Amino acid sequence: MSPIEDDDALIAAALNGSAFAWEKLVKRFEGRVYNLGLRLTGNPTDAMDLMQEVFIGVYRNLHRFRGDAKFSSWLFRIAHNKAVDMNRRKRLLMSKSKSATLEEGDVFETIPGVPRDEPENRLGEVQLNRQILGMLTRLPMDQRLVVELKVFQSLTFDEIAVMQEISENTAKTRFYTALKKLKDIAEEHHVLS
Amino acid sequence: MSCPKTDHLLQEYFADDLAPFAREEIEKHLATCAHCSEELGALMQTQSSLRQWQEQRVPHWDRRMNLFPAEGKPQSVIARFFSGLQWVPTAASFAMLAILLLNVSVVSGDQGFSIAFGAAAKNSLNLQAELAALQSQQQSEMQALIARVEDRLDSNNVRLLQAVMEQTQQTTSENFEQMYSYFEQQRLLDLQDMRVGYEQLVNSDYETIRSLQQLANFVSYEGSSR
Repeated sequence: MSPIEDDDALIAAALNGSAFAWEKLVKRFEGRVYNLGLRLTGNPTDAMDLMQEVFIGVYRNLHRFRGDAKFSSWLFRIAHNKAVDMNRRKRLLMSKSKSATLEEGDVFETIPGVPRDEPENRLGEVQLNRQILGMLTRLPMDQRLVVELKVFQSLTFDEIAVMQEISENTAKTRFYTALKKLKDIAEEHHVLS
Repeated sequence: MSCPKTDHLLQEYFADDLAPFAREEIEKHLATCAHCSEELGALMQTQSSLRQWQEQRVPHWDRRMNLFPAEGKPQSVIARFFSGLQWVPTAASFAMLAILLLNVSVVSGDQGFSIAFGAAAKNSLNLQAELAALQSQQQSEMQALIARVEDRLDSNNVRLLQAVMEQTQQTTSENFEQMYSYFEQQRLLDLQDMRVGYEQLVNSDYETIRSLQQLANFVSYEGSSR
């Protein structure tokens, strides 16, 4: 890997004001962050907002990154915290604007729609994702986060426990509860083959 | 049909670091318990279904998010000046200058702090007396200085006048001598010229007389010959 391909080199260059290095660094992780946002928020608009918040947070805290952990782990910790903040803000906003009682975690778009600007050949792919989102958005946010971190980010329960400031056992229980609920939703709607 | 061990066993089954003997125990139970086995299969199916997620492309967006100044467009001088903290020393200098020029004084009294511009009123009388004393002292010093300068100028003028007069006298006597010698020389030259002219005149007169004598001789010769 050439020096400019290395995360640390890109970080150093971005800190020195290189927009090119910053863009390269963002391009490397934006896909994962955007898809994490889609799964956690359930819609492209919120996913974009979350992604931008994450990268602004990363940029502002870049000088604090010491390199003792992997940059991707550090970045996804920021993404996790931003998602929690965003969910809290939305819940607060909706509780003020609507008197209807809401199940915790269902503050994002509960029935994700197919983005209008998606081309025809991507509809099947989007349809499958839409079914997955239909299940995930039925979970409370804390369970959705554990599923995201365990299934999609492949973190261990120990790492999830540290990130969420809970015990490892709680993380395991939360994941198992979420998985059972997802299974029930799938059986209920027969959405998955 | 349900099993009281299902939740406990299956939760452990999904653990990261399940000990081999614990896994064996669970496998043993799953082999005999249809409910737990079915439940595990459904959960595994659900998890693999989630993993069918297709990565979606990120829509076009501005990755720089205005965090970087536009390349090729240098920041204005003002923007550069205020971008860091380099304006602080300049601002502090201006503040100090303003304080000195306006003679700002902050006085804390019974009624709190008060800011006064210029000399405080209680010092104004003293200041005026000091100013008057300073003014009279300066005036006397100035007069003494003027007197000294005038004395010096007078003596200088006298010396200069004497020198000029001496030089003028000397020059005048020299001029008289020169003029005298010039006129003398001219007089001698004129006398010489007069003598030459007179001699020429005399010579021409002699010539005329000689011509008359020749004419008379000729006339007398003609008369005698007849």
